[in-house]
Amino acid sequence: MTSNNAKGKQKFEQIATLDIERERKRQKVGSFFRKALDYVFLTVASVFSFLPFYWMVISSVKTEMEYRASVPTFFPTEGFQWANYPTVLSQTSSGDGSFWQILLNTVIVGFVSTALGVLLTILTAYALARVDFKGKGLLFTLMLGTMMIPGEMFTLTNYLTVAKLSWNDTYTVMIVPFLVSIYYIYLLRNNFKQIPDTLYKAAKVDGLSDIGYLFKVMVPLTAPTLVSVTLLKFIGTWNSYIWPRLVNTANWQLVTNWVTRGFVDRGGALYGGLYGTSMSLTTLKMAAVCMVSLPLFILFLSFRKYIMHGVSKSGTKG
Amino acid sequence: MSRNNVNAAAAEEPAVKAHKTPFRVILFQSFKGWMFVLPAVLLMCLFTFYPIINAFVGAFKQNYLALNDTFDGWGFENFIRVLAGDTGTGGANFVQCLVNTMVFTFISVPVSTLLALLISVALNNIKRLQKFYQSVLFLPYLTNALAMGAVFATFFTVIGTRNNVETVGLVNNVLSIFGLAPANPGYIDWIGVRSPTWELWNLTIPWAKYIVVIVYEIWSGLPFKILILFSALQSVNKQYYDAAKVDGASKSTILWKITTPLISPMISYLLITGLMGGMKQYSAVVGLFGQDMGGDYQVGTMVGYIYQYVENGFTGYAFAGSLLLFAIIMVFTIINLRVSKKRVHY
Repeated sequence: MTSNNAKGKQKFEQIATLDIERERKRQKVGSFFRKALDYVFLTVASVFSFLPFYWMVISSVKTEMEYRASVPTFFPTEGFQWANYPTVLSQTSSGDGSFWQILLNTVIVGFVSTALGVLLTILTAYALARVDFKGKGLLFTLMLGTMMIPGEMFTLTNYLTVAKLSWNDTYTVMIVPFLVSIYYIYLLRNNFKQIPDTLYKAAKVDGLSDIGYLFKVMVPLTAPTLVSVTLLKFIGTWNSYIWPRLVNTANWQLVTNWVTRGFVDRGGALYGGLYGTSMSLTTLKMAAVCMVSLPLFILFLSFRKYIMHGVSKSGTKG
Repeated sequence: MSRNNVNAAAAEEPAVKAHKTPFRVILFQSFKGWMFVLPAVLLMCLFTFYPIINAFVGAFKQNYLALNDTFDGWGFENFIRVLAGDTGTGGANFVQCLVNTMVFTFISVPVSTLLALLISVALNNIKRLQKFYQSVLFLPYLTNALAMGAVFATFFTVIGTRNNVETVGLVNNVLSIFGLAPANPGYIDWIGVRSPTWELWNLTIPWAKYIVVIVYEIWSGLPFKILILFSALQSVNKQYYDAAKVDGASKSTILWKITTPLISPMISYLLITGLMGGMKQYSAVVGLFGQDMGGDYQVGTMVGYIYQYVENGFTGYAFAGSLLLFAIIMVFTIINLRVSKKRVHY
């Protein structure tokens, strides 16, 4: 009786362990497959996200013949055509603006509008966060209210305004209308608000003026947000397209306008002039696209944290 | 004694308060405040507040040609002509542009949000190579829409004449590997003038071009959405998953019944910003199809419609179009907020 009982218990335990082991094995295999599936899915997604960049770079150094081959190649088999780049860079026609002219425009507009814009943002955000003045509530409400309105509504009237001011074909026209970004003011104001009031009193005791307090205490304390704002403002200039196109002629436009042009072998030097001097060549276009994308890439890789911080808060890019 | 003190303090308090900010100080504070905001306020008056008023006024000026500063009187004619597609200038048609924009947005935003959710969940499941995949997936985060649009266009562009096709583009190459390309002519002309269309009532539905735009939109929208959803997933309390496992929930049950509701505020945020951003779409389509947006605005967007009238000088139509766009965006905002208030788990 007792031995029988023990036997049964033993058997039961055997079966139980077997079951548990089998179940564990099943789960292991299942989770292995699931893991593998995760990796496959992520790999497919990564290829999808990376392919355009890869294609843009290799196309920019292919010969046009190779690019137009009926079976596409995934590596330049006819050698790297670095000559595509100088061809694009030297491309000018009357009033068209060479790449260097356009780059100069972009850098000047970018730096001036970023510097002035950030300064204005700091001053306005400071007053909205720290100074109690009559009409502040109304001003702040009005500003937040305009954030819901699509930018095109402003662009229309601004287009007419700058024409009346005879600002067309200047740098001013690309800088002044966009100096105030309400969203950045709002962002910085919230940052300023988090700084305790006691710091202000301490600074006053130390004999700092308001301006001194703002730039010596508050600005350093909110540096991460200011870096984000600075970067996003500059990227905004780099990527701006419609406004320069509306108000300026080719010589005064910016890099994004430049990259939408058709690029032809104007000198007729490539491939013995096979494609003539007026046919748009995809390889040249890709070289131009690479040149416009590269600075963004470098900025993103070096300031990823700041850029993501700014964008994830605003939900918009630039 | 002490009671007296308390009374005295209580009696003094209002007097102290009133004394703290005399009128002179308020005046000084106001002056200081306005000096700080003055440059920004002046700029906003000219470039932000005035344009809003001007848009509402300009939309009701009939036959308004702003550059000559002439108009024929007041009324709703601009709106009627815009909606009826009867502006007499050719080019974009408002209803066509509205339909285009809606199709792009209502397909690409949900699809890319869903994809981003699945990718984030997969990213969250793995440990090895997580950083690597994360970096690659974030690469398209900061790009130039005109430049990358041109790259996407090359995937779809057929180069050559009808009888002498040179390259059919990468997408057609892939399609023909799987035998999906139409037998004659052996490729789909995604971008060019022979692009296939459907006719629907009075509208042309250039479905092949739609696919090009939607693929681009999904690609460019993914990184931001992955960033948001991935960080939301990482902040989910692990105890929920443990509890679910104890109850024997399957992986897909966990994903749809636990994870998704928990991060639903983020999903709804992405859908709202995505839909509102999608309504204002413009540069990507120009990058893909050029400034005429697919030949006479076949895939024009609402913003493209507005700019067309800015450029050809019919300012009244541009203003009317921009007010209609504003109204549509407002409607979406309100609907979205209502829906998300009901459905979102906080």
